[in-house]
Amino acid sequence: MGPADPALELGSPAEALVHAGDFLDAGVLAVDGALAVRGWNRWLEVATGWSAAEVVGRPLVDVFPALAGTRAEDAFRRALAGETVVFSHRFHEYLVPLPSGPAFPGYERMQQSARIAPLLADGRPDGAVALIQDVTERVTMEAELRAALERAEGASLAKSEFMAAMSHELRTPLGAIIGYSDLLETEVIGPLSERQKDHMRRVKMGAWHLLGIIEEILTFSRLDAGREPVHQERVDPSPIAADAVAMVEPQAQQKGLAVRVQLPEAPLEVTTDAGKLRQILVNLLGNAVKFTDAGQVELRAWSGPGVLHLEVSDTGPGIAPEYLERIFEPFTQVDSSHTRVKGGTGLGLPVSRRLARLLGGELEVASTVGQGSRFILTLPLLPAEPPARAGETA
Amino acid sequence: MKLTDLESDALNELFNIGLHRAAASLSDLTGKRVVVDLPRLWVCSMDELKDRLLEVVSGDLATVHQFFGGAIAGDAVLLLEYEKAVLLADLMTGGDVALGGRLDQSAREVIAEIGNVVLSSCLGAFGNVLQVAVSFSVPRIHIESLDGMLRSVVIEREQGIPYALVAATRFSLSGLEISGYLIVVIGVKSLELVSQALAARVS
Repeated sequence: MGPADPALELGSPAEALVHAGDFLDAGVLAVDGALAVRGWNRWLEVATGWSAAEVVGRPLVDVFPALAGTRAEDAFRRALAGETVVFSHRFHEYLVPLPSGPAFPGYERMQQSARIAPLLADGRPDGAVALIQDVTERVTMEAELRAALERAEGASLAKSEFMAAMSHELRTPLGAIIGYSDLLETEVIGPLSERQKDHMRRVKMGAWHLLGIIEEILTFSRLDAGREPVHQERVDPSPIAADAVAMVEPQAQQKGLAVRVQLPEAPLEVTTDAGKLRQILVNLLGNAVKFTDAGQVELRAWSGPGVLHLEVSDTGPGIAPEYLERIFEPFTQVDSSHTRVKGGTGLGLPVSRRLARLLGGELEVASTVGQGSRFILTLPLLPAEPPARAGETA
Repeated sequence: MKLTDLESDALNELFNIGLHRAAASLSDLTGKRVVVDLPRLWVCSMDELKDRLLEVVSGDLATVHQFFGGAIAGDAVLLLEYEKAVLLADLMTGGDVALGGRLDQSAREVIAEIGNVVLSSCLGAFGNVLQVAVSFSVPRIHIESLDGMLRSVVIEREQGIPYALVAATRFSLSGLEISGYLIVVIGVKSLELVSQALAARVS
């Protein structure tokens, strides 16, 4: 700062403030003990079109007649009594009536936030100064943001309602299809020929398959919306793994695939959501059986420091490196022609990875084209502690 | 420094007068019925202050500081847990601010103004009843941890060992209650003045 800059030779504190105020993007309005204007910076000159010479010396309510008897006038009086007053635009709209610019057609008056503080001379209030900020743009942006938020919330609500309705509308008729197929198969209504029985079985298989797809889509949308509840409990993963294997064994046998299970002899224990763990394993094993035409599918489990690893490997076609991450994207299958051949929604792996992460773990893949794939699920033995909050001691 | 029961009652009364005034101002500002009451009040050293606050608040805090000077001088802080500050700003403005659960610029202004109203009402009540002039600095809002808050509380050295008058406050509006703390940190000299004035008042 230059030592002899004439612009810095300042008189009273009020003048000093107003001079300094010429460099601010804010209004600096100073009044004396009788509420007459003592300072009027360049910003106010621009905002009102009135020069300091026209305004200084006049009573504040003469300059702004609309101010008489308002909370704003009260704020200046309180400042004269030594109080500092904050004037949030949320409660007051504006401190002093100033015209709003053409950029904000919704507002006739500039929206302001302000601070009104006493000006002290020899330690005693000798006037007050208001620092006025133009927040019209912010108010406009917030209004737009609020409207956008309401639209987004509306859309999200509509989506959730649609999903809930779809779940009901699709599951109810499927229940009827499966139920009546069961009833017909029992031949209580009348005897069925072998051909009719075979057709009935196909109807039922189709219905169960469709139900599975609907459940998968619903799980995915619940996970996507962060609405999937987690029920943590201490569980032994071995029977869960055995359950999951039992579910895919019939299809494996049909395809002539061997299913091997390697679990450690010592009992394992993990605190997690048993239902979700089963769902992930069934998904992974189901995929392995679905995409493997010869060889074997294997489930292995082992524990590491603080974590449990569960690996499902197969001797299927493998996944090319460029697809390795894409398989976790929703509605993706490596080769879309597979979708028709193999069926499925393309949601099994995305759902599984999201479930793994919901449980505080991770699902990863390693694969060699022509040799097979390994999906490795890593789960914490204990659920992750919620992150420590600032200010708390450990 | 310990207050007698009578002094403690008088201090309670002082805060109650201030909070009642603050509630009237806030009701007036928002057009809603706002009640601010005082479930608890205590005086403690700064060392105790941390331990006692650790029992009742956690996480990020929204604080409004207002220094005051005159015959009694110190730092006054309105302290709210971040989430509670968001809720308070939201309720006070009818859902206009604190979009997405954050204390955005507008919400901070709202909290600063609430802090200003509450702190200046209480300190004003002190000034009136004790018949001393109290002047205030511009209120400053911070988002900080408890440690940060305690570090930022400053009083002048000549005021002596700092003590804290802590008033648990409860804002009730729109059917909800939001708890916060009003902390007035003053030096032992100011506290003695307050104590004398209170003693004179109750005798």
